[in-house]
Amino acid sequence: MKVTVKSWTGVATWRWVANDDNCGICRMPFDSCCPDCKLPGDDCPLVWGACSHCFHIHCIVKWLHSQPQQQCPMCRQDWKFNNK
Amino acid sequence: MSYKKEDLKIYWSKINYAFPILNDTIFSDCGNAEYEEIQQIIVGLGIQIKIRDLVLLHIEKYLRQHVAPSFWSKFVKVEEDEKGFQLFKSAVNDLYDAVANFSGMLQRLTILNNSCNDSKPIYAEKDVISGFKQLVRATLLSQLPLDFQVIIESFYKVSFNVFDNEYDKEDMGEDVTCSGCLNECSDCNCMYIVKVFHETNKKLMELQLLERLTGQVLTNFIQMRIESHIQKLCNGTFDKSHIGFLETWLDTTVMSWLTRIYCGGSSKPSPDDKNTLNAILKFKQKLSYFLYHSYTKLRIDELFNIIIEYPDSQPAVDDIKICLEKTDLRSTLCKNLQSALETRLLHPGVNTPDILTAYVTTIRALRHLDPSGVILETVTKPVRNYLRNRDDTVRSVVSSLTEEGAGSELAEELVKFAAETDGDSDKDEAWDEWNPDPVDADPTVDSSDRRANDIISMLVNVYGSKELFVNEYRTLLADRLLAQNAINTEKEIRYLELLKLRFGESQLHYCEVMLKDISDSKRINALIQQDKEIEILNKKFTSNAMILSAQFWPPFKDESLELPEQIKRHFEAYTKSFEGLKGNRTLSWKPHLGNVNIEIEIGDKKLDLTVSPFNATMIMYFQDKPEWSIDELHQVMKVPVTVLRRKITYWQSMGLITEKTTDHFVLVDGSDGNKPNVASNQVQEMICEDDETESVMASAHDQREGELQVFWSYIVGMLTNLDSLPLDRIHQMLKMFASQAPGTECSLQELRQFLDTKVRTHQLVLQGGMYKLPKT
Repeated sequence: MKVTVKSWTGVATWRWVANDDNCGICRMPFDSCCPDCKLPGDDCPLVWGACSHCFHIHCIVKWLHSQPQQQCPMCRQDWKFNNK
Repeated sequence: MSYKKEDLKIYWSKINYAFPILNDTIFSDCGNAEYEEIQQIIVGLGIQIKIRDLVLLHIEKYLRQHVAPSFWSKFVKVEEDEKGFQLFKSAVNDLYDAVANFSGMLQRLTILNNSCNDSKPIYAEKDVISGFKQLVRATLLSQLPLDFQVIIESFYKVSFNVFDNEYDKEDMGEDVTCSGCLNECSDCNCMYIVKVFHETNKKLMELQLLERLTGQVLTNFIQMRIESHIQKLCNGTFDKSHIGFLETWLDTTVMSWLTRIYCGGSSKPSPDDKNTLNAILKFKQKLSYFLYHSYTKLRIDELFNIIIEYPDSQPAVDDIKICLEKTDLRSTLCKNLQSALETRLLHPGVNTPDILTAYVTTIRALRHLDPSGVILETVTKPVRNYLRNRDDTVRSVVSSLTEEGAGSELAEELVKFAAETDGDSDKDEAWDEWNPDPVDADPTVDSSDRRANDIISMLVNVYGSKELFVNEYRTLLADRLLAQNAINTEKEIRYLELLKLRFGESQLHYCEVMLKDISDSKRINALIQQDKEIEILNKKFTSNAMILSAQFWPPFKDESLELPEQIKRHFEAYTKSFEGLKGNRTLSWKPHLGNVNIEIEIGDKKLDLTVSPFNATMIMYFQDKPEWSIDELHQVMKVPVTVLRRKITYWQSMGLITEKTTDHFVLVDGSDGNKPNVASNQVQEMICEDDETESVMASAHDQREGELQVFWSYIVGMLTNLDSLPLDRIHQMLKMFASQAPGTECSLQELRQFLDTKVRTHQLVLQGGMYKLPKT
């Protein structure tokens, strides 16, 4: 007997490679979206700061706008986007 | 004043001559002129009152002793209708003659009475003649024998047969016997019967006995006729309105019988005969009520069938609607329909989709019948209760909601709802068309609620929560999306939009993401296929992937499966490619999900199959090595032995693998011939189907269990502090402390089940109704 696979459709779930499960600001899972968004993933991406903390981009932008100083809400270091 | 004895004797014999009744006979040839003389004598003697009373007394006695018994003596039980007919006829004739014999004497008595001048009523009547008639009636009826109706009935039966026959002569056809009188056509005596019938009736009418004697029989008879006519005409046909036909039938056929009976043969009553007219009119009112009553009854008995055939049976429903207003059968209808539903629908032998279809048509038909919705509410209560107890109700509703094509009335309903919500927000209440609720309405329910409910919301309300429905829809959608390769996303999106209109945007947000995942993965798939490394790998076989947002899909059943190396390599490459495409994101594979297209060459046969990854993996292992024990398979595939045993049946049914000894499986090689393949064709279909219908999603029950797990830490905390607690205390405390967490509406029932599972796994101890933590 010979078995030939012609095509294989697999199922996978995607997830962010981050050091935490939930966004520190909105407390939603990273793999979900921020409260303002409807669609996860490309439409609600994550950003990493220089301090290595990461958040939903919409969450951190909102946070930074509401603060006089640009600090990471987790570690109070100056916030810089880490463009890796 | 004194009279000679002889004179008195002569006077007395003359009086006897004029009123022979005093000697208990009625025949006398006393003429008018002669009576003049006798009258003179009586008045001269001044005894007119005494004579009158004496005569009346004797008449009464005579009637009682002779006329009535001889009349009733004819009323014996006979078997044949024909005999009864003759007996009744002769009885009436004799009576009539007997009464007629009185006429001369009555005339004289009238003169006598007039000379009395005391205006004393005679048997409560003004004049002698009507008094006499009254007396005859009273006497007769006072001696009524028990079974007098038998003969009357046979009399009318014979005559009605003849009448009936007159109305449908056409279908007599070639019959040898006349269907009217049941004699042979050659000596049909229909005409005779009709004649006798009319004569007899006329006589009875004259005696004013018609109604008294025959009213009951006649009514029974006609009612029976009406019933059988309704049965014949309407039974089982729902697609026509019958009320009109029935009314004309009553007006023409039945009423003309009646008029003929009452008027002794003429088909029209004389307009000045008020009595007859009145009697006929009253009779007609009674009969038309009866007509409605029996028609409604028939329809109520058939209501279940009518409902099943709705909307084809709409005319029947219209009829019932009219009839219900005229008769008082509303509660009977509710009761009967309810029990019909219970006996015919609500038992384990009926499929849930069938119950749902019936429920939907019931809603529609009863809506039409009673727009206030009260009947509907009462009648369908048991159906709702029953549906609540069926596990697959939600699933059936959801799948029929989204099903396309024939038989999916719910899908149509959904579309209709969407169309309706567009326009009619400004539907003002028409105050002048307001009607109070029917008496049997439940006063605690707002009537506008009852009216407003449409079919889908009534179905959803079976459970009382939208959430359950939406969850079920999500699971179904997930199954469908994963099961089908080429899914019609457009169609799904359309239904999703329709559902959104009904259940609200937020509830169905998850489903939207799911659909987007599918279309996104197609795009990503296309991009990844261009990757060099994948392209090389794809030379062997193509690998595709569906990439899902885990947070938005219902939880998957957790199953482990170790894929063959070559597949794993594919997936790794795919993941790498994905990571390159989407920065900072990676994939975790669900090895047991998806589908595989494989080709199996066995002997000179080729099988092209689409199977689950599990089955593909297994057969690939068997390709490497033709003999496996279940433990070995467990080692390489990392699948629990029980699952293996269950799933290996797929290949066994295909005839590719057999169980040589217990737990030891061997590949059936093609060199054995193609016998196994052929033999298993039917089995294969069955098993395949079974395999496909199995949901890959965790069941609702499992999901709920997971949610309840949130409480576990609270419960452990409670029990460490307070040692032991009864069920309801735990429930109360949970309500107090844990009510903020999502999905925490937890009934006492659910909590009990949850705690019981914990008891079973020895994480809890139940002692005298108190839950405790086990001592460690």
